[in-house]
Amino acid sequence: MTAHVPDLPEMPDLHEQAGEYVLGTLSEARQRALEQRLPHDAALQAAVQEWEARLLPLTALVDPAAPSARLWQRIERSMQAQQIQKMPVPTAASPERAATVRRGWAWPDWNNLALWRGLSAGSFVTAAVLAVLLVMRTGAPQPSPQFMVVLVAPQDKAPGWVIQAGLSRQLSLIPLGTLTVPQDKALQFWTKADGWKGPVSLGLVQPGHTLQVALDKLPPLQANQLFELTLEPAAGSPIGKPTGPIQFIGRAVKIL
Amino acid sequence: MPDDAAVFDYEAALVACAAGDHAALHRLYDHEGARLLGVAQRLVGDRALAEDIVHDAFINIWTHARSYDVQRGSARGWLYTITRHLALNTLRNSRHEVTVDDDVVTAIDAEASLADWRETVDAFAWQASAGAVNRCLQQLDPVRRNCVLHAYVDGLSHSQIAQRIDAPLGTVKAWIKRSLVTLRECMG
Repeated sequence: MTAHVPDLPEMPDLHEQAGEYVLGTLSEARQRALEQRLPHDAALQAAVQEWEARLLPLTALVDPAAPSARLWQRIERSMQAQQIQKMPVPTAASPERAATVRRGWAWPDWNNLALWRGLSAGSFVTAAVLAVLLVMRTGAPQPSPQFMVVLVAPQDKAPGWVIQAGLSRQLSLIPLGTLTVPQDKALQFWTKADGWKGPVSLGLVQPGHTLQVALDKLPPLQANQLFELTLEPAAGSPIGKPTGPIQFIGRAVKIL
Repeated sequence: MPDDAAVFDYEAALVACAAGDHAALHRLYDHEGARLLGVAQRLVGDRALAEDIVHDAFINIWTHARSYDVQRGSARGWLYTITRHLALNTLRNSRHEVTVDDDVVTAIDAEASLADWRETVDAFAWQASAGAVNRCLQQLDPVRRNCVLHAYVDGLSHSQIAQRIDAPLGTVKAWIKRSLVTLRECMG
């Protein structure tokens, strides 16, 4: 007789799983498992896309609902909050801004609350969880960090890096995973605290590698201090300010 | 599909969104907003919540327009995928339902029970849907058709469908599973 394989549920059919996923009838555990597989599994992606296309015409069974006038206004506000400030117009009050006008991309509005409000709620919880994970991973007792920053991708808020900063005036940028950067590009690490004129470069970052940065030339870390990684030319930004899109962003949370 | 949806260039609008064109997102909203809101409202059953979902959907469309890949399906389909995904997650989070995994439920009662539902009438005017899915839905018994549509259109879980149509849970799961096989075979 064939050997009995204990406790291994039969692998459900790819198309069946994809179909139920699109239909919305997968159990929570299976949905989660599928979504974890999805980014790495081209066959599953194709199966899901096929089902999306097959079932899409069924959306026509639902009557449209006229949105309230407020809805577009809300979308527009949020869109502007997310939109990276483009080509700031120099004014008499801030003549120096004329010099900051660059091609197509400019530093986002640091004071834009809406941008941060969206990030902070999720990041805070993530920070607590990650703090636990980091402690578990390193095993040995560590000097308690004063600040913790979780850097998340601006679009999907997926955490990509954690910053720990202790009393030693040293900061560690710790990767949570690997990522690839285009060959002619580099990740550059920046910070800016409230009241600073502009962001300060903390150097180039190797994807997947921890970076230690001495903070002795900078003022002490503050709560809410912003950190981010932007995509820059391989040698770093030629103008000492970010010129490329933000890849990861977060702000310091005091954890002592 | 309404005429304007047939001529509106969704791909071009998404490309313009990726380039930072606010007006392009507004055009997408004008063309598809009401239909997306209808779909979201049908799924979550609440207007205010549905507007939140459509808001989040459009912000996602705006921020991810660059990652849209025409190889991976129509731009219009992408809008619905995002909106339905957000709506289904909202539903799931609010449901707090203990779901029994498919493996656990036996489906042996399915065939035996089938006869009882032969007389079921359609709960959806599904003939209104276009194309191959319409032709293939015809191949399903009305009760199975209803199960698929209650899931996709109403966002009902297996057990909610079982309650709605007063059928055993295992039967509903088996019907949906087999309906998907039938649809896939029929539509390719």
